[in-house]
Amino acid sequence: MDFLTFSANTLCLLSLIALVFPFSSFLVILQLKKSQGATISIFNISVSLIASLLVFINVWNSTTLQQQVEWFQVGTVSISAGILLNNLSVLMMVLVSAISLLVHIYSISYMKGDENIYKYWAYLGLFCFSMMGLVISDSLLLIYMFWELVGMSSYLLIGFWFTKDAASQAAKKAFIMNRIGDLGFLTGLMIIYSQFGTFDIGRLFNVGGLVDSASIINGFWISESASVPVIWLTIAGLAFFIGAMTKSAQFPLHTWLPDAMQGPTSVSSLIHAATMVAAGVFLLGRVYPLFDSIALNTITVVGVFTAFMAATIALTQNDIKRILAYSTISQLGFMIAAMGIGAYGESIFHLATHAFFKCLLFLAAGSVIHQLHHYKEHHSLEFNHQDIRLMGGLRKQMPIAFITMCIAAAALAGLPFTSGFLSKDAILITSFEWAEGYHGFKKLVPFVLVLTSWLTVFYIGRLIFKVFFGKSNYKGVKDAPWPMTRILLILAFFSLFPLFSVNPLSYDNSWLLQGFVPAGVKPFDIFHLLVPIIVTGISAIIVLISYKLYGGTATKQLPENGLLYRFSNRAWYLDRVYDLLFVRSITALSIISHKFDTLIVDGLVNSLAGLARIISDIIHWFDRHVVDGLVNGIASLASKTGDFARQFQTGKLQHYLITMLTLVVTFFIITYLI
Amino acid sequence: MIPLSHFMIISAALFCIGLFAVLTKRNAIQILIGIEFMINAAILNFVAAGRFDRVAGGGQMFALFAIVLAAAGVAVALAIILNVYKHFRTINPDKIDTLKN
Repeated sequence: MDFLTFSANTLCLLSLIALVFPFSSFLVILQLKKSQGATISIFNISVSLIASLLVFINVWNSTTLQQQVEWFQVGTVSISAGILLNNLSVLMMVLVSAISLLVHIYSISYMKGDENIYKYWAYLGLFCFSMMGLVISDSLLLIYMFWELVGMSSYLLIGFWFTKDAASQAAKKAFIMNRIGDLGFLTGLMIIYSQFGTFDIGRLFNVGGLVDSASIINGFWISESASVPVIWLTIAGLAFFIGAMTKSAQFPLHTWLPDAMQGPTSVSSLIHAATMVAAGVFLLGRVYPLFDSIALNTITVVGVFTAFMAATIALTQNDIKRILAYSTISQLGFMIAAMGIGAYGESIFHLATHAFFKCLLFLAAGSVIHQLHHYKEHHSLEFNHQDIRLMGGLRKQMPIAFITMCIAAAALAGLPFTSGFLSKDAILITSFEWAEGYHGFKKLVPFVLVLTSWLTVFYIGRLIFKVFFGKSNYKGVKDAPWPMTRILLILAFFSLFPLFSVNPLSYDNSWLLQGFVPAGVKPFDIFHLLVPIIVTGISAIIVLISYKLYGGTATKQLPENGLLYRFSNRAWYLDRVYDLLFVRSITALSIISHKFDTLIVDGLVNSLAGLARIISDIIHWFDRHVVDGLVNGIASLASKTGDFARQFQTGKLQHYLITMLTLVVTFFIITYLI
Repeated sequence: MIPLSHFMIISAALFCIGLFAVLTKRNAIQILIGIEFMINAAILNFVAAGRFDRVAGGGQMFALFAIVLAAAGVAVALAIILNVYKHFRTINPDKIDTLKN
């Protein structure tokens, strides 16, 4: 393998290639405006994948590379920009480019015939570019920029069918919710900069780096250059977490994600699998050394709660994509919770496995939706082709979609021989081991996670059985065309255990997990044995129960008007609460300020204007009568004088003579007689 | 002997008659005659005053000069009147008001 070993410079160049190629497809396709951007995009993303793989082979478990150049200088402050390649970033690079490539290929068939297809390819390119940049940047400032770009491109993609009102609303919602997280990120960024004076991740977070060597003495957080109360350390951690919460859709900022289902299914798949939602977990991984115990506890609680909440919501949803959306939120909760309990590697492991099986779930669901949509158009029927209540019996008509989706569902449910089994067990077992060291509410964490994983089994079982079992309503629906199904098969392979671990039943020897620092918990062998057995056993029972409930030809209708059902179906009424709390209050506030504007501000302005009018009327009168009067008076005086003098200038000789005579006589009279 | 004041009165009367003629007449020739009246009033004054200068006869001398000058003046004035008549076809001074325009 010597020929695949490269120098540090070449590796950085390769990662730059992986970064720039998707961006070039964005630029080129938008310039060409050809209806066909597929070839360019797929070529570029393939190059990106190959470069990422080469970098991965060289960097994984062997070195950490950081190269940077000076970016800009303000006064004496110099900000650098560069590339940081370590296990985390190269893994993400491969994940992002691989999933993107598969989604790209899938999209050729899925998006066929869309009139704005070139924009779709261009936005996908921008999306991959931003995600790649986010992953390989070595500076928090750069990450922040790419973070914003991810938000921007997700906005473009979610709102791709912008003529649909729901889609443009969903895009706006996603964008605005993400702004909240951006604000958190920015706050964290500012605290970090004021404390350490640099954005360089290498210098900040390496072992023995700035964050590591900053000490806490007497309630003060002391770095080389600054000293602030220790609360700022907690605030910085929480601020970064808020950033991660929005991108990774954690409670209470998760509501944008189910709505984002309005985008094309391939986009949902990309957003949910490896890119956008992974960005939050990735950010937590990047700034991990910053979190103190309060921040970590918050992260754990939020993660566990989100996992549980989203799973309960997913139980009763009827839109196939919404179920998957809530399952993504739930799985992200698992990852975040794993981060919170210190299971850093397990979290990234779950991120990687989840990327594949969630991508598969979405693409398989997409193929079902695609086929039903065509069926609907072909027979000019009117029904909701995403509603699982209207599906059924597709098992025989769409065998490939059925098999692949079963594999993905098994992985999501954490059944043995799948990748999900490995990573979910890793998180569950680590959480049990972690909880051993604590008392109180922390004891609850592993049990809630286990309960959530059982709920997961139930709702994904419900989805599978409702869609693929029972009686078929649609005659003549076939599997999606080969270009789509082949992607499903590839992903199905990646969702099984061999890619991640040789031993299908134990995650301990997984190569991926060994690439990261192990969680700092005392291992208890008993958990390694008991947890998988109990969890899997009960999961199997739950699968059977859900088959009984939903799998039969004559499906029993569960009561659908209970309080809990409605609570779950309406997604815990969170959208309603947000609507009341924020949207309504802001609307009310804006109405009040509008009133204030019209009544007081306008009134003030109008009365000022009235006053000015009165004053100007006075001035006008003064001008007209006094100033003009003076001028006119002088003018008329001159005119009168002139007229008077004119009388003497008759042009007649004798008149002049009389005048002269008069003057002379007058003169004499005055001189001699008076 | 006739006192000086009589001459003065006659002279003044002559002057006034001439002045009146100058101011009122509608004919340039008559105006010219008025002017002659006024000149002669002045000459009469000179001659009358000459009584007090018998040795040098200054008054008489001035009277002679004045008569000559008046004759020259009348000649010129008549020439002007002739030209005015040629130009305006009238010698009525009321009609000749080009000074005004």
